[in-house]
Amino acid sequence: MKNFENRSFPLLSRAEKPARYTGGEWNAVRKTENVRARFCLCFPDLYEIGMSNLGMQILYSEINSIDGFACERCYAPAEDMAALLRSEGRRLSSLESGIPLKDFDIVGFSVQFELLYTGILYMLDLAGIPFRAEERGEEFPILLAGGPCAVDPEPFADFFDCIVIGEGEGVDSAVLALAAEGKEKGWSKREILARAKEITGVYVPALHKKGEKVTKAVFADFENAPYPLRPVVANTEAVHDRAVIELYRGCASGCRFCQAGYYYRPIRERSPEKCTEQAKAIVRNTGYGEIAMCSLSTGDYSGLHALMDGLRDFVHEKRVNLSLPSLRLSSFSGDIAQESRRSSLTFAPEAGTQRLRDVINKNVTDAEIDNIAKAFEAGYDSVKLYFMLGLPTETDEDIAGIAAICARLRELYFKTRGKRGPNISVSCAVFIPKPCTPFQWEAQISFDEMLRKQNYLRGLLRRIKGVSFSWHGAESSVLEAALARGDRRLSQVIERAYVLGAKFDSWSEKFDWEAWQRAFADCGLDMEEYTGTRDTEEELPWDFIDAGVSKRYLLAQRALAYEGVTTRSCREGCNGCGANRLGRCTIE
Amino acid sequence: MIVLRYSRLGTRKYLSHIDVLRDFGRIVRRADIPVAYSEGFNPHALLFFSPPTPVGVSSVAEYVGIGTAASSEETLARFNAAVTEEMRASEAFLTAKNPNLAGRIVAADYVFPFPADAFRPEEGLTLDYVKKGERVVEEAGDRIFAAGEREGRLLLTLACGNVTLRADRVFAALKERTGIAADIGEVIKTEQYVRENGALVAVPQWLKGL
Repeated sequence: MKNFENRSFPLLSRAEKPARYTGGEWNAVRKTENVRARFCLCFPDLYEIGMSNLGMQILYSEINSIDGFACERCYAPAEDMAALLRSEGRRLSSLESGIPLKDFDIVGFSVQFELLYTGILYMLDLAGIPFRAEERGEEFPILLAGGPCAVDPEPFADFFDCIVIGEGEGVDSAVLALAAEGKEKGWSKREILARAKEITGVYVPALHKKGEKVTKAVFADFENAPYPLRPVVANTEAVHDRAVIELYRGCASGCRFCQAGYYYRPIRERSPEKCTEQAKAIVRNTGYGEIAMCSLSTGDYSGLHALMDGLRDFVHEKRVNLSLPSLRLSSFSGDIAQESRRSSLTFAPEAGTQRLRDVINKNVTDAEIDNIAKAFEAGYDSVKLYFMLGLPTETDEDIAGIAAICARLRELYFKTRGKRGPNISVSCAVFIPKPCTPFQWEAQISFDEMLRKQNYLRGLLRRIKGVSFSWHGAESSVLEAALARGDRRLSQVIERAYVLGAKFDSWSEKFDWEAWQRAFADCGLDMEEYTGTRDTEEELPWDFIDAGVSKRYLLAQRALAYEGVTTRSCREGCNGCGANRLGRCTIE
Repeated sequence: MIVLRYSRLGTRKYLSHIDVLRDFGRIVRRADIPVAYSEGFNPHALLFFSPPTPVGVSSVAEYVGIGTAASSEETLARFNAAVTEEMRASEAFLTAKNPNLAGRIVAADYVFPFPADAFRPEEGLTLDYVKKGERVVEEAGDRIFAAGEREGRLLLTLACGNVTLRADRVFAALKERTGIAADIGEVIKTEQYVRENGALVAVPQWLKGL
């Protein structure tokens, strides 16, 4: 407590939500002695968002579990706090010890989403760290990035010294070990990076030679992978304030638009016994009133019933709710719905007609959509449905299918439940072609087409009682698409957009479309070049990454999409995607 | 029911009341205090709090009533094992029924980072602040029940409860008056009171007599 006066505490009394910046949370770790090297884990969005991120908690706990290494955290301050830091001439510092970011050995950013790229620059700016790796001398820490966006790291590659492609467990700590050794032996940053480059999954942009491949890091022994049993409990309400258990990584479904489904392969399940033990330990160590069972498709987890059985008495005794996000319609059953009492259920049919669902390989049939009736029988009155507009081959008939599903659900509701009528909320995103998917070569629909489709659907849904409709902003969807398949040239655009005032791009009220349009124009680049169709013969910016799934497989899946032919779930038999070269697929 | 007297120091003073309420649900669960729950569709833990302390103000005299059959010693020990040093409880009181802290508490002592002569009862105190976008100017002297000194600093007993005088507003007015560059983080709540037979009685003393 002694050093509070040296920290931003006097500023806190003037901040809008000071609890974001104090640290001192339950389970936070502050190491003061025998620290060989320090890692500052940064999240380029607000505390409430970052504190909900499982990856941050995993890495924080893993690094802090190692003797001699300390991991601290920093989240993007809100603009009021940023103004205070600037006016008082203070630098952005870590929550635990109040150490300025630039005094760490490694500053590592979790990059979860394309619209967070300016958040990285915003934090570096507040920390007094030059943006570009080439501008930073030995006096600055090693800047590292990781997270799902590393699937195509090129748009932000110039900002970082090294980028972890794939899973950070074991890799971030290995780089930190090199930084510690380097510090003790007097190695230059370049010498440390040259060694780091030898670690599987580590991409060092400055030392990368053309033609070299970087293989995605995969933590093979998922059952025993580091897991935070004492996660840090947020001071103020986080987006997700709950105990999280990760049932498995990867996904067997193979939806052709889904980056996570391909990128997180091979599929590795954790045993229900282990998950049960972890869930109990986390609740005991945090006091959370909810356990979320996370994975890309929770209903497909082979140990789900065993897990629910293992937790039943415990959740009853502790008065804890179970939450099952990411249920697939095909795997949904009423008994599971009974056990996780919630006010609404969420499903993602993604497309309105069987034809289009076959194209995208969302193996959900109309009969399975009727399955939602089970939820009504189980006592639910509200259903949330996720769809996408602008999928390859989509026609207006497919969009009309979305309205037809809503009408059908209403009918089913009246058959099973009372007279009141269900609440159906339809949420529509715009399809964004992403790297490492069979649709990585597809074009995104034009801006005008997005607006037309949204209006068309809105008109159809307006005629059905009890249906609410929300949609994603067209502008931010275009930007996300442009950044998702970007190349090195985009680092200038990101920097320019930040200088022009873009930040917190994922917050619709902060999103500055004009700044981004101008940034592209100032850099002489055309957004449409990035959102348009890519030639399958062309070399893609992320082709140097070996993410496991082969390009040949992606192309084959793309061809099947155009034929409207589906691919079975990996649980029914291996489809030969190639990901098991990087680690054993545990459902084989 | 067990009433704990706990603190709100260091980083904890920056939590809003709503964050504190949310946190307590987790604290009693991880402390494994066998707490009773309300009946109904959404049962909630039987926890009862003393009136909110403003964000930024420290306290060594926060109170929470916990509906539990556990002993006061056990509740105190379990609670203290489940919170950081900044929130530790110093005392636990067993009461036969819910003491209704929020309804009964009428005053609280605060030590301000100003000299004791920064406030004279005869001069009163004018507050000037913005509430919901509108400027409010009001006389607050009648809600200051007593003034004194603690270790060279100003000690004020302010209305707290259904009729309340917010310590952060008093701090702002005194800061303006004295011109001393103090920080709200230096204000500390040291005791809370109920009224019995017209006199203010400190909460610990009152609870012991219940």
